[in-house]
Amino acid sequence: MPLLELHNLKKYFATQKAVDDISLSIEKGSIFGLLGPNGAGKTTLIRMITGIFYPDEGQIVFDGKKFDPIKDVGQIGYMPEERGLYKKMKIGEQTLYLAQLKGLSRSDATKKIKEWFIRFEMESWWNKKVEDLSKGMSQKLQFVTTVLHEPKLIILDEPFSGLDPVNSNLIKEEIYRLAQQGATVIFSTHRMEQVEEICNNIVLVNKGKKILDGTVKAVKQDFKENLFSIGANQLPEGLNGQAPFEIVGSRNQAFVVRIREGNRPNDVLQYLLQQGTEIHSFNEILPSLNDIFIKLVEGTPAARQFQTINS
Amino acid sequence: MNKIPLIIKREYLTRVRKRTFIISTLLFPLLYLALIFGTGYIAEKSKTELHVAVIDSSGTGYFSRAAFEKQNAIDASSVLTLVTDNADSVKAGYKQYGYDGYIVIPPIKWDSPVTDQLFFNANKSYGTGSTSGVETKLNRIWDEVKYENLQLDSTKRSILNNSRLSVRSINLDDKKANAEIAQGIGYACGFLIYFILLIYGSQVMMGVMEEKTNRIAEVIVSSVRPFQMMVGKILGIGLVALTQFLLWIAFVFIIYNVGKFSGSGNGGAATMIVGNIQNMFSSINLPLILFCFAFYFLAGFFFYASLYGAIGSAVNEDMREAQSLSFPITMLVIISIALMSSAIANPTSPIAVWASIIPFSSPIVMMARIPYGVPGTVPWWQLGLSMTFLVLGFIFTTWFAGKIYRTGILMYGKKPTWKELIKWAFRKN
Repeated sequence: MPLLELHNLKKYFATQKAVDDISLSIEKGSIFGLLGPNGAGKTTLIRMITGIFYPDEGQIVFDGKKFDPIKDVGQIGYMPEERGLYKKMKIGEQTLYLAQLKGLSRSDATKKIKEWFIRFEMESWWNKKVEDLSKGMSQKLQFVTTVLHEPKLIILDEPFSGLDPVNSNLIKEEIYRLAQQGATVIFSTHRMEQVEEICNNIVLVNKGKKILDGTVKAVKQDFKENLFSIGANQLPEGLNGQAPFEIVGSRNQAFVVRIREGNRPNDVLQYLLQQGTEIHSFNEILPSLNDIFIKLVEGTPAARQFQTINS
Repeated sequence: MNKIPLIIKREYLTRVRKRTFIISTLLFPLLYLALIFGTGYIAEKSKTELHVAVIDSSGTGYFSRAAFEKQNAIDASSVLTLVTDNADSVKAGYKQYGYDGYIVIPPIKWDSPVTDQLFFNANKSYGTGSTSGVETKLNRIWDEVKYENLQLDSTKRSILNNSRLSVRSINLDDKKANAEIAQGIGYACGFLIYFILLIYGSQVMMGVMEEKTNRIAEVIVSSVRPFQMMVGKILGIGLVALTQFLLWIAFVFIIYNVGKFSGSGNGGAATMIVGNIQNMFSSINLPLILFCFAFYFLAGFFFYASLYGAIGSAVNEDMREAQSLSFPITMLVIISIALMSSAIANPTSPIAVWASIIPFSSPIVMMARIPYGVPGTVPWWQLGLSMTFLVLGFIFTTWFAGKIYRTGILMYGKKPTWKELIKWAFRKN
């Protein structure tokens, strides 16, 4: 059952169709990647989901009911890309304040903060101020304030920027754990390798429109170019049109071949075995999300152009 | 659940706990007194005691050294000395003899009904503040000469000098009203509100800017509506201002009672001050003034604070941007103070009446008029109209600012113009 459904959402600004008719659906407990180049409309889309903006048109269905920003906001945890905390406020008080704004009672919030601080080894931070923290430390604190109220939907915009590998892993583990406990995570980033690692489903938006939607696996299958890598000392010479494949290049001391239309991988192996080629390895090369991303948004001007909207 | 109380609590506590709040609460009354007494003291002190050589070239023998010495003894603000040397040698040597300058009395006649122009010759320029004392003294000496020649005895002189008609205003509807006390209280109230509007208005602006530049604004607006965020901040800071103000009243009350207690034993200056204060309080309608002050102070604060908040939301971290954008608002406050001076001098003039009804200037101007008496000087309908307009005014500015705030708080980049701000406010949705 989907936790969040967007139906034909639209949001136009004076000079931009920031979000132009996007529909999507996010399953409960999934980790969902929201991808797109700079200025594609991701932030606007997220701001509508978090109730900061009202959509011009379209509907948001949250947990089976029409989204009510005032009521449902307590079920959402949002860590924006442009994040920050009150510099002069004590960390404990600040976390408590943000949790209470999300609707937790004072005692509940205190209990939960203590648990999280122990989990993240931040117990000694309670009476420190945010200005005493390093960038990575305040990032961890920001993550805690985002998930503290146990939201059903967690939206993280570039959560790993500025974190070292150890702390990145810590946060990653927490994301997995929260998803396992039933939270749904929307994960917005440009870092494709992280998306491949973490997300089940992705959506790619560009110029305010959805241009790709599916599981990571399916997307990769859709964009595969029938490329295989063959580890062999020597491929038979003088390949002609009879061979079921052609050599495209080489990578990591292996040959990269493309299977010709109408052939299957087994045909390739059979052909090579017949030729007496010694094979060490045979792998399918699936495109990385990075390749797909670049392929899809290529040709889009690097900066979004201003346009006139007649509405 | 309503989240505004949480925001108010945070805004209030973080500010009240700050050391600067405690220090400013203690220091402001002292600075205020220092400002009032200090400027008077400095003005008094900065008057220079002029030593003037006077050369009598009238050739009449009207003037004698004795007459000059007699006046010097009465009034020590300047020293005039009659010298017998001629003008040229005085001009060459007045500095050597320790004079600041010299005056030459031209040929004048005691019975010619014209004003003779005399010149104070010196090597620098003196303002009228310095020369008026010399002028007064010379005129007293000249009066003596005229009395002598008119053969007026001391009784006649006394009649001539002291028999005067004096006019003072009495308010028939409100006999207790005392114009001088009213003027003093009016000034004090007007200036207090002026300070509060400027100081706490800019605190709201800085607070909003802080949230925006710290980038916490987006985190907060994902929990509460931007409007709640703005209203919470304004109310929180308003409470800080109110706290500070109540503390000041408490100080005054304590000092007054301590003064009364210690003064009752030994008499003297303390008793006199307490007596003056008692006299002052009995001549005004204290509860009404306090109530009106609290009203105009809060309503005026809401009126301006929301505008300052809107500006804070529209600019980036650059203080100069904020200053240039808030200049029109600050100008309104300063114009109000200018209008207040005119209203105090003439509390029933049309300009005073209108300035005390129009919302932007009414918090300051009305507070300057109220001590003159309600309903004597300020009829009830004017007070009611002024209060209604101010409430409507701050509802409008809060709405207007809320619209700007909602857009501005998440907008980074170029500083918007006032034209764009107004566009934001009137854009639907």
